[in-house]
Amino acid sequence: MRLTYPHMGNLGIILKALFEGLGGDVIVPPPITERTLSLGVQYSPEFACLPLKINVGNFIEALEMGADTILMLGGVGPCRFGYYGQVQREILKDLGYNPKMVIVEPPQGRFKDFLRDLASLFPGLTVGKVVDAVKLAWEKMAYLDQMERALLVFRAHEAYRGAVTNKYNEYRDYIDESKDPKEVKALGLKVIEEMRSLTVPPVEEPLRIAVVGEIYFLIEPFPSQDIFKELNELGVEVDKTEYISDYVLSNIFPWKLNRIKKEARPYLNRVIGGHAVNTIGNTREFADKGYDGIIQIFPFTCTPEIVAQGILSRMSKDLDIPIMSLSYDENTGQVGYQTRIEAFVDLLLRRREMGSAHI
Amino acid sequence: MDIKVGIPRALLYYNFYPAWKVFFNELGAKVILSQKTNKKIVDDGVLNTVDEACLPVKVFFGHVINLKDRGVDYIFVPRIVSVEKRRYLCAKFLGLPDLIRASIRDIPPIIDMEIDLYRGYNRNVDREIDRVGMIFTKDMRKIRKAKEAAIIAQNNYEKHLKSGLIPREAIRIMEGAKVVKAPDSGLLKIGLLGHNYNIMDEYINMDIIKKINDFGGTVITADMLKESDIEYGASCYPKDMFWTYGREMLGAGRYMLDSGIVDGVVIVTAFGCGPDSLIKEMVEKEYKRRNTIPILSLTIDEHTGEAGIITRLEAFMDLLRWKEVV
Repeated sequence: MRLTYPHMGNLGIILKALFEGLGGDVIVPPPITERTLSLGVQYSPEFACLPLKINVGNFIEALEMGADTILMLGGVGPCRFGYYGQVQREILKDLGYNPKMVIVEPPQGRFKDFLRDLASLFPGLTVGKVVDAVKLAWEKMAYLDQMERALLVFRAHEAYRGAVTNKYNEYRDYIDESKDPKEVKALGLKVIEEMRSLTVPPVEEPLRIAVVGEIYFLIEPFPSQDIFKELNELGVEVDKTEYISDYVLSNIFPWKLNRIKKEARPYLNRVIGGHAVNTIGNTREFADKGYDGIIQIFPFTCTPEIVAQGILSRMSKDLDIPIMSLSYDENTGQVGYQTRIEAFVDLLLRRREMGSAHI
Repeated sequence: MDIKVGIPRALLYYNFYPAWKVFFNELGAKVILSQKTNKKIVDDGVLNTVDEACLPVKVFFGHVINLKDRGVDYIFVPRIVSVEKRRYLCAKFLGLPDLIRASIRDIPPIIDMEIDLYRGYNRNVDREIDRVGMIFTKDMRKIRKAKEAAIIAQNNYEKHLKSGLIPREAIRIMEGAKVVKAPDSGLLKIGLLGHNYNIMDEYINMDIIKKINDFGGTVITADMLKESDIEYGASCYPKDMFWTYGREMLGAGRYMLDSGIVDGVVIVTAFGCGPDSLIKEMVEKEYKRRNTIPILSLTIDEHTGEAGIITRLEAFMDLLRWKEVV
């Protein structure tokens, strides 16, 4: 059995550690490129959202490399993600591939069931093996997230273009290769210091922007053409509201969401699927924290985020904070978005100058 | 003076209007329906919603604005989460009152009754109905009566639909008009798949039902099929479809294909519809694999030109006739 799964940011590294630790034969799909995208676009439904199309591209490229089993998450709606796996299976069938698709339905607080589903894939498991694999994967997740958090701040002040990004990429590869949780920790802490050493302190207080929106777009930089990097290179410190550990933890411990739901309540009264409630709740929270602006990113035709977008325009007035919504499809031209992002940053700078003039 | 409750003639109006009307009437309120969709309503809707919302949502906004201009005391914008056990509706219905409140200013108060049958009909559902009833009366007996009358009206309405009437005919019958079902004008039976708010709104789909009739076809919709037929079709897929109307479309499509009760199928979806993007794919895939019954897929948005629909529909009907001859 040769196992594969779709890419989502650094999730690939974490899953690889987990499954190899469990004794699986893992085929990591090649990094997402234009080819991945065009394969996905070619065979997916026209109005499906971008994550589905990129998934399909990942699967095809992994199947070409000899994978025969695909691991995918399921769901019970109302977001259409829950039906991804079903549609993808049919698409691959028509293409003549016949992979075994293991669609893991959401544990909804029953982590045990999730583990049992997984265990059926890996014969000859022992408790010791599971503990070791989970420990290693967990450590990788924790430190990759911390690294990324640091990256999004330090890259705004790097000494020369690419310095921090290159360091980050270099260490991400080391962590990928590492088999020892202690080493992962050491690498993670070391790279944060190294990245810090590659920055020059900013002259003025830097702008801070929070990026909210759909989960896949927050975790995987490819579909948004790495808006995080784009902002950083304009000298803006970025925080995104969802990291892989947030995603994993809120799936295991659903009550983690309660705080966000409470924040969102005046504007959105309930969970409506996808990450709309997170978008609304986080926007309110980051506005209160004094961030200069909020950017919402999501795939074109994503219903929950469109509802959120409508509500955000009202919140922008109520909370007196600039909010920009960007939706992406496979045709998104880079220059158009770059212009809008630059204009938004200019607007924030101007706003700050005007503000200080009043004092 | 009676309290006036405005009901937008859009979205789930086509599925639940008789129940809503009876409910508010029994509570002593007068129901004001927005006008039929027209150019102004669509334009108002487009202006007041986010660009990326789907056409049905934009049209709904237009109807809310139409009601606002007609001096109603309340506008009924229910938050319909789920209408049956273990299945949802599209995410837009879940956030609809929030979206309306955030986007349109100066409107009469909204009655945002939450209808959530995901865990079955339980005390919470009753409590919510009572909450809405209390706006009109303090008499709990009256509220209970209104609720029961609404359920009876809904059952009647669905019976009419199953007998082969389309919503506007069924609603007229329930309002006391005599409707004579036009005799089947043609030999071709066309399965018409799509959300009711897409296939039943004569304005946004350029009255597709009349066009099909004019070209010599009779229409069969998912509403006219037996629940057991839809269940058969839906159970052909390994995973239960978690949207109520998505499942209806998927099941009806599959049943029509397997049973061969239709000569051709027309599937209508709104541009950018999230759920339909996947459901249409699943339905179409099976039709393409079998290659027995032709399927025509139409996408509508606020720019839809009538000529485009006529041309394609005409060509499709010609193809069906040609296929019969050969």
